[in-house]
Amino acid sequence: MTDQLDYQMTIEDLSTLMKRTAGVHVDPVTLRRQAEAGFDTFGLDSLGLLGIVAELEKRYGFGLPEQAERCKTPADFLALVNGALKTGV
Amino acid sequence: MSGRQRSRRAVVTGLGVVAPHGIGVEAFWKATVDGASSLGPVTREGCDHMPLRVAGEVRGFDAEEVIEGRYLVQTDRFTHFALAAAELALADARFGRADVESPYSVGVVTAAGSGGGEFGQRELQNLWGQGSRYVGPYQSIAWFYAASTGQISIRNDFKGPCGVVAGDEAGGLDALARAALSVRQGTDTVVCGATEAPLAPYSIVCQLGYPELSRATEPDRAYRPFTDAACGFVPAEGGAVLLVEAEEAARERGAEARATVAGHAATFTGASRWEESRAGLARAIEGALAEAGCRPEEVDVVFADALGVPEADRAEALALADALGPHARRVPVTAPKTGTGRAYCAAPVLDVASAVLAMEHGLIPPTPHVSDVCHDLDLVAGRARPAEPRTALVLSRGLMGFNSALVLRRGAAPSSE
Repeated sequence: MTDQLDYQMTIEDLSTLMKRTAGVHVDPVTLRRQAEAGFDTFGLDSLGLLGIVAELEKRYGFGLPEQAERCKTPADFLALVNGALKTGV
Repeated sequence: MSGRQRSRRAVVTGLGVVAPHGIGVEAFWKATVDGASSLGPVTREGCDHMPLRVAGEVRGFDAEEVIEGRYLVQTDRFTHFALAAAELALADARFGRADVESPYSVGVVTAAGSGGGEFGQRELQNLWGQGSRYVGPYQSIAWFYAASTGQISIRNDFKGPCGVVAGDEAGGLDALARAALSVRQGTDTVVCGATEAPLAPYSIVCQLGYPELSRATEPDRAYRPFTDAACGFVPAEGGAVLLVEAEEAARERGAEARATVAGHAATFTGASRWEESRAGLARAIEGALAEAGCRPEEVDVVFADALGVPEADRAEALALADALGPHARRVPVTAPKTGTGRAYCAAPVLDVASAVLAMEHGLIPPTPHVSDVCHDLDLVAGRARPAEPRTALVLSRGLMGFNSALVLRRGAAPSSE
């Protein structure tokens, strides 16, 4: 995994991580269109989201806010992660 | 068991097998009845330097082909086997979505002794090799012995009574008894059985401490219970899942009652105390026969535990004599597991599958690798024996001292005659 120079997580990144760490395959187009839908509608459970948070923390080298693993939708999650990336580095 | 409870008889309507002999009932039964052997060298990754040379491995099982990605990443091989076997059992019973009256009408009960050793080892290596951030969250559930029940329940949306039996190898039979009890208490359908995947480095190291483990190097000499050459047992992976239903529920959906779970009993006599297992096993047999309302002479075939340790084999032969009387010398006894190895909790469940098939096909499968029996038993060796078994007794003992006996009747048999 490469470090992202602009430190912004995209919907494509999330799609890739969902597949790799949780085995849940949702293509980026669908994920973008349904960004307000609950993670559970895609079959991603709380442990799955926890795995994605852990993966991001490894990638960026710092801890994300605790709320990250409690986000309900892709949109919420991306907003929180990208907010943290802006201020946290 | 009261007369009222008997009106909700627990019957077997489907078998799902993932075993060293093959995947699916057809491949499994063909090899079993042919007396084929699937014992061979241990080829699982990272095991080649282990002092365990012979095992029963499941070959040609492609988990990715039969299980969705999100279940694959969060489960160990033993749960992959369980999910696949459950699917096969449901298909075998022709039990589809339309047959699920309510999610609460279907329960799940499994037994497991080894747990998710391969998954657990990988994550623990990540922990000590790279640090805690490299341990995935699914470690918290994947290596737990209860994982298979949970995942079968989640994947199929079965929300009836669910349970996990931690009862040593004999737990496989106890799981079926638990399923039958659920049925008698009002659950229509229970998915039940056991699968194991103990052929990973960490899991094998755990087993190397068992004095009963065979260290033989030649597959045809490694597991020969009831003979002078008995030198321990060969471990195996895989297992079986059965669909057990209330007889009336099966009849309503037009499914055939292939066998009745008629009686069960269990005892505990302590780890590796094989001489004492004689009394414990005899007591379990007597209890199972009593619950089934079955006289010793009615037992048409015995699927033996057949540990392959002289002291344990002697105890089993004597337990049969104690519980069945003179009939113990006449009843055909078989141990097809000498051709597959002992898949711990799954070993007696595979025997139950074989017993159901033996009653259906009128053939008692033989005991591979065994001849010159040194006990007073009519052990079926060499070729399958034509017979008309209507009542089968399945026995199991665990290395930690659990003894169980299960009585199966062919078809939808009444519990007593």
